[in-house]
This record gives sequence, structure tokens and C-alpha cells, in this order.
Amino acid sequence: MMDSIEEQLAAHALSKPDKVALICGEVEVTYAQLWSRVFFTAQELQTKYNVCKNDRVILSASGCIEFIYVYFGVHIAGGIAVPIDPDTHLARFEFIRQSTNPKCVIGLLHKAGVEGVPFEDVATSEGTSFDYVDLDLDDIADIMFTTGTTGDPKGVTLSHRNLSAAAKHINAFIGNTADDVELLALPVSHSFGLGRIRCVLSAGGTLVVLGSFANVKKFFKEMKEHNVTGFGMVPASWAFIKKFSGKYIAKFANQLKYVEIGSSFMPVEEKQLLMELLPNTRLNMHYGLTEASRSAFMEFHAEKDNLTTVGKASPNVDIALFDAEGKKVALGEEGEVCVKGAHVCSGYWNEPVERFQKDFFDGYFRTGDCATMDEKGYIYLKSRIKEMINVGGKKVSPMEVEDVLNSIPGIAESACIGIPDPAGMMGEVVKAFIVCSDENLTDKDITTALSPKLEVYKLPVQIERIESIPKTSNGKIQRLKLKT
Amino acid sequence: MNIKESVIEIVANVCEIEKNQVTENSAIGDFPSWDSMAQLTIFSTIEDQLGVSFEPEEMMEIESISDMVNAIEAKK
Repeated sequence: MMDSIEEQLAAHALSKPDKVALICGEVEVTYAQLWSRVFFTAQELQTKYNVCKNDRVILSASGCIEFIYVYFGVHIAGGIAVPIDPDTHLARFEFIRQSTNPKCVIGLLHKAGVEGVPFEDVATSEGTSFDYVDLDLDDIADIMFTTGTTGDPKGVTLSHRNLSAAAKHINAFIGNTADDVELLALPVSHSFGLGRIRCVLSAGGTLVVLGSFANVKKFFKEMKEHNVTGFGMVPASWAFIKKFSGKYIAKFANQLKYVEIGSSFMPVEEKQLLMELLPNTRLNMHYGLTEASRSAFMEFHAEKDNLTTVGKASPNVDIALFDAEGKKVALGEEGEVCVKGAHVCSGYWNEPVERFQKDFFDGYFRTGDCATMDEKGYIYLKSRIKEMINVGGKKVSPMEVEDVLNSIPGIAESACIGIPDPAGMMGEVVKAFIVCSDENLTDKDITTALSPKLEVYKLPVQIERIESIPKTSNGKIQRLKLKT
Repeated sequence: MNIKESVIEIVANVCEIEKNQVTENSAIGDFPSWDSMAQLTIFSTIEDQLGVSFEPEEMMEIESISDMVNAIEAKK
């Protein structure tokens, strides 16, 4: 029997009403208060914004506490939350808006110049009655827009069952309990950060909402003040924390019970350094994607002699490797990582089920990643079929950057690849190869033309001029050839 | 241009905001665009343009424009 995350929140509000659920600055919110705010917010959404079952609500996913009330409020009002990055640019926002046809947009999208309804107006603290919408676990709860291979955003639909199953297997691996106090500095517009909210609150723990890693002094101040026992970060966050504080984190070695680390490249030396600084902390690195959140896990100390693996299938998750024809490969052979479990997304928004079914081999969802697996089930990633570039945990489609590059007068054509970040911070960064029709075009001209149209992390860090772009006989860009 | 003006100009450019929005009291996170990526760029630009470098523990203590100005002046 599985309960939705909201049902679990309601149960905590009844069983431990005075337990602190959220802390943000000077504000402390108990489970009883959290549930009543979520409840009143849902009422506000229904009465003032006419949100009915399956209506979409776009949320600018800033790290404010009101976002949490509204996110859960949308769910219990029967709606579908569409959390997007507050940095979303106008073209992407317009695509998402037209695709989802939302009842309302909540929060500020500063880069797109969109002022939605302020969170404070929706997350009301007063209310009387509320038409509780009977939720089916298979109803869509969230649409998470990721970067599709073509560059257009792709809406991953996650049901209440998906979200609840993911929280359950993540908490099982990490060992989250009601005693945990977690510091949330990750962006909540992505599956990882939003997932941490659900994991901590479903376990009945306390979440300290910080919103960003940008102020490292504040990060450690909150950690000390609230006796934080865990937090989530991507490898780029660790590079940032290290650059701005050196080995200071070691002061919390006896306090931190766990860290969850997101799936992007992290050098073995960095893993070893973290192990040295936090010898008693569970350092859990996950492997997953928005469509199949945290499908595998590994813990650094337990795998100290095997740090290049992305781990084994998470609890209640099955992983198998398939060849291009959809047959399971023999042990040790390379194949596509395919995932089965109740956490695997229910589909893509506005995409026929028949199309989505093609993303499966024998009931296993195809991730697009190539790997090998050993006899104990440990997975070793080899390459990515989809050619996505992973900049500090954020996915960039080379085609999206190329489309914008190709629209710049003076650029005949272009191709983008991921290269190791020369600054050692972001894992990968974007490198652009361009064929110029105007030799006077400078790198600065190109960056100036790209900036208004792309998020900062998508901007090429290196630009190289070449005679021609390598292509197959069908005209498909051979990006792998540019990597050599 | 003095150090304070230089720092304000760097922060305004990196955060893509008008210079007059940035004051001595402005601090990390005051503008939505002043995130960790902006913080990295601000420090690398300060180090390049003003010819100073900082140890990690020094950078951790710097939260506002006035902190930056004081830290740079102490190194000059």
C-alpha cells in the first residue's frame, strides 16, 4: 500500500503536529502549520484561480518557503505542478506555457520578464473550508521540463505514485528518518532539489530552506545553528564549496550523517577528498534522470576500492542492459542502461502513449546511457547515446546551442560538444565549433548575441573556428569526431 | 575608477543589472541573478582586473560589496 507524499504529510500533521517541518531564516513551521498552509493554499487556488483536477499551474521554482506551500497546494487541489527555473528565458517559457496551457503562473521569472502571481498572494494563512479532491496515485502530479535531444523542452509527467515510490527508495538507501535536519541549497526547479523536499518531509524530518549555495558562509552558519545532519549537492556545488571554504566542511564531520550527491562526473580524487574530510558521513552518489529518479546509488566509503561505479540498482528498482535490438546483453558487455520500477515516469506531456512506449525494452525504460555491469550488479557508465552535455548537473542539448549559433549572421554552421571544464568546477562545459562566413566575427560578438537567448550555463566556454563540420553521408553531425 | 566603483561595475555586469541598483550594502543573493555561478565569475573578474587573489577561507568571509572592497584594499 502506497500513500501519496501529501497523504504522508497529512499523517505527520496528525501524529506529530508540533514537530518542526520547515525552517527559513527566522521562520519555523510545524507539520500542523505546514499542512494548514498547504490546505488553505489549495483552497485559494480553487476559489480564486479556478484550479480544478488536472489543471496545470506553472511555478517559478525559487527557494522560498511559500513555493513549498504552493507546490503541495497545487497537488491537493487536484492540479498539476509545473515547476520551472526562475532563470528560464522567454522563448523556453513561451514553449512551456503554450504546451501546458496553465490556469496561472506563480512567481517571478526575471529573465523572461514575466511577473506571475506573487507566491505570498496564493500561499495564504487563512481559510475556512476546502473541497478535497480525491487523488488517484496514477494522476499526474508534476510536469518537469527537461532538455530534449532536439533542444525543445520535453515535459516529463510524474504521477503521485512515481514521486512516492522515488522518495521511498531514496530514503531507504540514504537512511533518512524523522530525526534528520536537512539543509536545502539545491535549485528546486530540478528533479534532485524538488525530490529532496519530498524525501525529507515524507520521512517526517526537518528541512532548512536556504535556496542556494552562493553564500557559503551562510551555508555553514545555518548548518551549525540548526545542527543539520545532511544535505544534497551536485559535484559542481562541491567544487564551489571547496573553492570558497577550502576544507572547512571537515568541522562538521561528526555532525553530518549523510550527503546525497547528484549524478554528473566527479573525479575520483574529489570523492577521496570528501571521504577524508567526512569519514563518518554516508556519501551517497546517485545515478538517474528526471524520467527515472535515482535509479542507482553507491556510497563512497562502502565502495572505497570501486569509486568509478555509479552503483547498483536502488531498493525496489531493477536495472538491465540491452543492445540496440532490445535484447539483454551478456554480463560484462556494453549495453544501454534500462530501468524498471514504480518511479519511472508515466510519459511525456502532449506525446502519444504509443511514442512513449518506444522508449522501453521489455518493460524497462531506456535511459540513453551506455554502460557495463559486473556480476555483482555494479554499473560502469561508458558514454551517452543522446550526446547531452552535463554542465554542473544541468543538461544542455548541443542542438539547442547550435540552433542559436546558426542564427547569428556570419556563422555558416556550428557543432557543440561537452569538454572537461578547464576551471575544474562544472564537470563539463560547452565547446562550440563554428564555420564562419564572416572572418571579422569575434568571440565577444558571438557571446553577446547568444547571451539573451540562452541560460548562462549553456554559453560556450570555448569557441573554435574550423573549415567544415564533420557529418555522416545523411548530413548528421558527427560530434564524437570533434571530441578527438 | 576607485576600488568600490570597480567592484560595483563588476557585480552589475556579471548580474546583468544597472549599476545604480548596486550599493555598498548589496550582498550575495540580493538579486536573483547573483547566484553561485555569478559569485564565481565576480571573483575571477576581480582577481583578473584588480590583480589580487584570495584564499578559500578569505572568500568565505566575503558576503557584501563592502566586504569585497575591504578585502581588496587590505591586499593593496
